[in-house]
Amino acid sequence: MPSRPLSRILYVEDEVDIQRIARLALERFGKFTVEVVGDPLQAMEAIAAFGPDLVLLDWMMPGMDGPTLFRRIKEDERTRHLPVVFMTAKASGAELAELKSLGAAGTISKPFAPKELPEQLRAIWAALPD
Amino acid sequence: MSESAASSTTFVAAPGPAHAGTVDARSVLADRVVQLYSQLPLGIAGTVVVSLVAAFELRAGRYAELVALWGALVLFVSAARLSLYLAWRRGDRGATDPEQWLRWLGIAALASGVTWGFAAAVFFPSHADEQQVFLALLLTGAMAGGISMYAASWPMYAAYAAGIAVPFTYVLATFGNRLFTEIALLVPAFYAVSVGIAWRLNEVFDSGYRLRHAYRRLTEDNAELNRRLQQQLTELAEARRQVEASGRKLALFAERSPIAVLELDPQGRIREINRAAELLFGYAPVELAGEHAKKLILPKYHEEFDAQWRRLLETREPIARLKIRNLRRDGIGIVCEWTVTPLVNRAGDTVAVIAQGRDVTQELEAERLKKEFTSTLSHELRTPLTSIIGSLQLINSGVMGEPEKDVLELTTVAERNAQRLLDLINDILDIEKIESGKLTLAPEALALDDVLREALVLNRAFAERYRVRFELRGELPQAPVHADRKRLLQVLTNLLSNAAKFSPEGGTVEVTLERTDGRVRVEVHDRGPGVPENFRARMFSRFAQAESALTRQKGGTGLGLAICKRLIEMMNGTIGFADRDGGGTTFYFELPVLQAPAGASPQETTCHPDRSAEFSTSKTR
Repeated sequence: MPSRPLSRILYVEDEVDIQRIARLALERFGKFTVEVVGDPLQAMEAIAAFGPDLVLLDWMMPGMDGPTLFRRIKEDERTRHLPVVFMTAKASGAELAELKSLGAAGTISKPFAPKELPEQLRAIWAALPD
Repeated sequence: MSESAASSTTFVAAPGPAHAGTVDARSVLADRVVQLYSQLPLGIAGTVVVSLVAAFELRAGRYAELVALWGALVLFVSAARLSLYLAWRRGDRGATDPEQWLRWLGIAALASGVTWGFAAAVFFPSHADEQQVFLALLLTGAMAGGISMYAASWPMYAAYAAGIAVPFTYVLATFGNRLFTEIALLVPAFYAVSVGIAWRLNEVFDSGYRLRHAYRRLTEDNAELNRRLQQQLTELAEARRQVEASGRKLALFAERSPIAVLELDPQGRIREINRAAELLFGYAPVELAGEHAKKLILPKYHEEFDAQWRRLLETREPIARLKIRNLRRDGIGIVCEWTVTPLVNRAGDTVAVIAQGRDVTQELEAERLKKEFTSTLSHELRTPLTSIIGSLQLINSGVMGEPEKDVLELTTVAERNAQRLLDLINDILDIEKIESGKLTLAPEALALDDVLREALVLNRAFAERYRVRFELRGELPQAPVHADRKRLLQVLTNLLSNAAKFSPEGGTVEVTLERTDGRVRVEVHDRGPGVPENFRARMFSRFAQAESALTRQKGGTGLGLAICKRLIEMMNGTIGFADRDGGGTTFYFELPVLQAPAGASPQETTCHPDRSAEFSTSKTR
């Protein structure tokens, strides 16, 4: 378990409506500091600028899908350490297992319950190694 | 003589030992009997006529009474012979017992001979010279005439002739006349010659009979052969008719069937095609005859075809459900599913290959569309629902500020119905996955008791909505199972939410977990209205919902239990329901207990006495 509590979350999601709901849920319920990125191609820059504790990643996005962005994060020396959580509506068990083996911190299935989202993320955070 | 006449073998020329007792020898004997008896009336007639003439000639003189006596004797013997003849005719003509008939005829022949011998012995000495000449002629005539009568059995003739010759020779020899003495020497010689002739004739008859029998048997064999040949010809004709009929039937099948059928030679060239194949590819049979089958296949798949063809010729085993990208005459590519069967002759050579196929292009397209639709359902419907449910949850939770009471009521309805829509989509996706065989479970070693506790916590809020509480009854035994945790929770959620929905307000849903030899059983007892009689059989079918205002009011997709049943069955369990005493229904499922690995000692968990209270939920509204 990391020594400090989870506080800064970067959320990559193309759907504006879901962005808004998730941001509200994370800010109001979870009291997190949230930065939302709508275009996955700008995600790497946003990570560098914002400096999140954890990255929440949508699975299906136009331009670049979640798994591709995830691999990019894991390939980059500066971002490799960041825990990444997937939000997904349809990923199969095999794909999720593969991502986990590559180092994904966890998954949250869509549709998510806004009230429970902060707790789910805190549980994943708590399960991380130092 | 009488002794030999009584012997059954006397009158029969002894056949070779090889024939003794055979059917053949007996039938020859029967033939001999027929021959002898059929001449009998002629012999009797001859005897009577000649005797009457003789009696007439000899009547004058001192011995008229003796002549009358002789005549009576002849008539008596003739009558006896006649009755024998008639008896023989009435019966089966000596077929069953030829020896007996032969014996009787031998006695009759001897008697007949003896009457002539009597005439010689009595009348020859007593009559005048001219009458003696007449008598001598008569006697020699009788002896000679007997040859033809009895030639079929020389011993019979010998007995008959001896009856004449012996007294005659004696009378001649003792007459005291030198001429008569000389004649007396000639009579035995004549007898001997006559018997010799009879023996020869007997032999001739014999071989004649044998030839006849051999011929008859040959004829019979021949007839039998002919009969069998005829039968075989008939059978052959019938077989041919059947082959032709089935050939016609097959041709009809091939002709009328919607399946395209191609006959190919072992090199892959087309020999014949049926009507369906014509329609499928757009070629007439003559256009394709002699062409290679590859003409009907997209060029980029030719190599694959060659490989499959080699495999077919090597294994000589049919290949089923082979999907090939075919090419129609108009250049349009289609996908066909083929069953390819090599026809192998007795020598093991492939003489032809039959390919049967149908166009599955549209089926594949439909399958693709279905997949696309499923994917759309999954993503395009769930994404907006995520927004709707999320927004409503945020509003209803009060975190955005306390909404007005009326507004909250409406947004609560909206959230509940959005959730219901999401449940329906999830259920449809599950059913689709189950039915297409694409649902895979991730079974692991689980403690069913823990999963049950978790399910109760997860569904507590739902139960509260219906003002129902869950109550865990009794002590929870340790219940290790091998199951998919997520899917097990899904089943439990389904049973618990159903029970909550159908329970009366303020009611309690009791939950038990029992472990009995090798199985664990979870029961969910409600006090609802029970299952209508006409609905019981369809309880676990798809879209099964009892038709009532109640179910419509309670909602639900009608897919939940069908999914539960499949899921539990995939985990090697059973699911069911039963009426509950005092009203309500019990739903249950059973799973096999996961056997502890060898060596590991089972560990009993301690159960809290107040566990049932732990999961009770109080009324919140």
